[in-house]
Amino acid sequence: MAGLSGQRRLERRWGWLMALPAVLGFLIFTAGPMVASLAFSLTDWQVGGSPSFVGLDNYTAMASDELFWTSLGATTYYTLGAVPLVLIVSFAVAMLLNQRVRGLSLWRTIFYLPTLVPSIANVVLWIWIFNPDFGLLNSLLRQAGLPSGQWIYDEATAIPSLIVMSTWGFGNTMVIFLAGLQGVPRHLYEAVSIDGGGAWRRFWHVTLPMMTPTIFYNLVVGVVGTFQVFNQAYVMTEGGPNNATLFYVYYLFRKAFRESEMGYASALAWVLFMIIVVITFLLFRNARRWVHYEMAGAR
Amino acid sequence: MKRRDLFRMGGLAALGAAAAACGSGGGTAGAGATRLQFMYWGSTFEKTAVEKMLRSFAEKNPGVEVKPLFTPDEYDVKLNSLIAGGNVPDLGYVPMSMSYRLAEQGKLVNLFPYLKKYPQLAGYLPDAYLWYGPDQLHGVATANEIELLWYSKAAIAEAGIAAPPAVAASAWSWDQLVENAYKLTVDQNGRHPDESGFDPKQVRQFGISVSITYAAAWYGFLRSNGADFADEAGKRCLLDTPEAIQVFQNLQDLIHKHRVAPGPGQLAATGDDVPGTNILLKTKRVAMVVDGHWALLDMNESKVDYGIGVLPKYSEPFTTSQVAGASSVFAGGKHVEEAVELFAFHIDPRYVDLYRQGLWMPQERKYYEDQAAIDSWTKNDGHPPEFRTAVVDYAREHGVPDLRNRVKNLSAISSDVLTPALQEIESGKRPAAEILKAVTPKITGMLQGWQHTQEV
Repeated sequence: MAGLSGQRRLERRWGWLMALPAVLGFLIFTAGPMVASLAFSLTDWQVGGSPSFVGLDNYTAMASDELFWTSLGATTYYTLGAVPLVLIVSFAVAMLLNQRVRGLSLWRTIFYLPTLVPSIANVVLWIWIFNPDFGLLNSLLRQAGLPSGQWIYDEATAIPSLIVMSTWGFGNTMVIFLAGLQGVPRHLYEAVSIDGGGAWRRFWHVTLPMMTPTIFYNLVVGVVGTFQVFNQAYVMTEGGPNNATLFYVYYLFRKAFRESEMGYASALAWVLFMIIVVITFLLFRNARRWVHYEMAGAR
Repeated sequence: MKRRDLFRMGGLAALGAAAAACGSGGGTAGAGATRLQFMYWGSTFEKTAVEKMLRSFAEKNPGVEVKPLFTPDEYDVKLNSLIAGGNVPDLGYVPMSMSYRLAEQGKLVNLFPYLKKYPQLAGYLPDAYLWYGPDQLHGVATANEIELLWYSKAAIAEAGIAAPPAVAASAWSWDQLVENAYKLTVDQNGRHPDESGFDPKQVRQFGISVSITYAAAWYGFLRSNGADFADEAGKRCLLDTPEAIQVFQNLQDLIHKHRVAPGPGQLAATGDDVPGTNILLKTKRVAMVVDGHWALLDMNESKVDYGIGVLPKYSEPFTTSQVAGASSVFAGGKHVEEAVELFAFHIDPRYVDLYRQGLWMPQERKYYEDQAAIDSWTKNDGHPPEFRTAVVDYAREHGVPDLRNRVKNLSAISSDVLTPALQEIESGKRPAAEILKAVTPKITGMLQGWQHTQEV
């Protein structure tokens, strides 16, 4: 440290000290448990007993665990539906909120508001909306003379219902899109106008390409988050009916805390982690083809 | 104070808090006093009653302090976490899904040697004892709860039918139940399901509600029809026998063929939480409900005009009994003797209000056989006149113990294969026979036999 000035030394010391709570928090509450769960995933451990080493048995057992595949299927189905839908809805709303209209900040607040509602409160609200007898959705359908549904109480419609529900909290994604939209340089739009292009051309040739980095970011964050969907299964459906909404993390939770199969649950957690890593990696590989950065090469 | 000092102090305070958090293990007793922790779940009424019982124990035993650990939700998750952290309570309720495992791991005290010291514990109904091996007793079912047919007197009077019988010998047949349920089911326009124009999506009052996914609700029917969950060895599932299929087909038909019972989600208020039987009957949302004896407390508290009947029968009448969690003493505590003392106390009708209030049924045999003992818990405003035949006699003569106390590995069987199959039956998409024939081999593959039973 001889080369550092007093000021730099001070900053370095205080910098670490200031970051300490975050660093300690990460080490104690994230990194530590991760390492521990990796070790536990190689054991047969029931709460109350002592772990015994079983090698990769927990991992190989998954291949023949019907519910592992069921839960992976349900989660994938949900992700494939929810992520694109949230992206489209939040992008569309962000475009609307990027116009110069009266009461803009009020509109932005209103559209963001559902994001501030706690997740569980949200879920309870939607339980009522989906109630087959007196829920909002079926009441509206009946008044319009349309057939009503069983929503989360029917195997076939449970996941589509939850996908529709997922759009409710699009606020955060929308705000990021909005920020992205405001970063699109004006002169590009002007150039299109000079060439005689209308609204569609402005969208197709300027907005969309310029927004691809933002779309990509929201896509990756959305996929990572959606693969860990839990609350809906935990509060609304308990994985039912007939395992239709047995999401991966809910299955993991059930194994760990209800059946106290900690070893197997840890292995499930690591497999999910690997799945998310692989998907993220594939998304990044694929991104080279469609994500355009304003300054080529700058990432 | 300079800003830098402020930071230093903040850092110290944080470190101090962390150190304190690490240092404080739970369950440390105050100087001199024996301190016990009693962990339990239940309704608000049960909380009050259990606290009262714990206070009276502390009064009778100077030098003993009891700390109630009331845990109404996520009991298994929280108890598992306490065990993983090595910080268990001294005694309390243990869900049956965990109790056998904990006993085998040596986490629960073997109470068999204590039966001599506490003779009242030795005189229990045989099904109350929870054995995990020969002479190995890890607890008792906290109360002897049975399933009953609750009904709204007003709804019965409006339909102009006879009330469900309160004596097992004259129990309704299944056909009689269905016939009466038709008369009790009314849509918004006052039509019954057998009238043209009946709207099954706008039902004002359902005739009957009986859970398909809750084993205690149907196990009595299964036994009454001569079927069972598994064979004598407990290794082969029998849910694909014609008798079992008939029971489940009948349950499915109540919803989808006769349309006299609510389907999935139709009664739900929040998620799977159906309003209590007291509310369903009081609002006449449902006219008859199959539910446990424990509903009596809430029924009285909310002033419902209810009646109690016995369940319909196929051949010999049966009802599920011992529908409760376990009460157990945790091993490894500093005060096991005192904890066992409290254990014997907490389920003794002489000291505990919950029997007279109608939440619990006693486990000691004399409370079903000896007239004075029967009167001691049933002769009061909280117990209607038909209670003697519909509950006391019914439980003594026609109770078959709940599957949770009897079938090994049932917790995993239920969550992995049984409940999903029962949900499919409930949905009415396929006949019960198809579903049960598909799931039975899977259950057989997971069966590990019946739990041990023996004479005391």
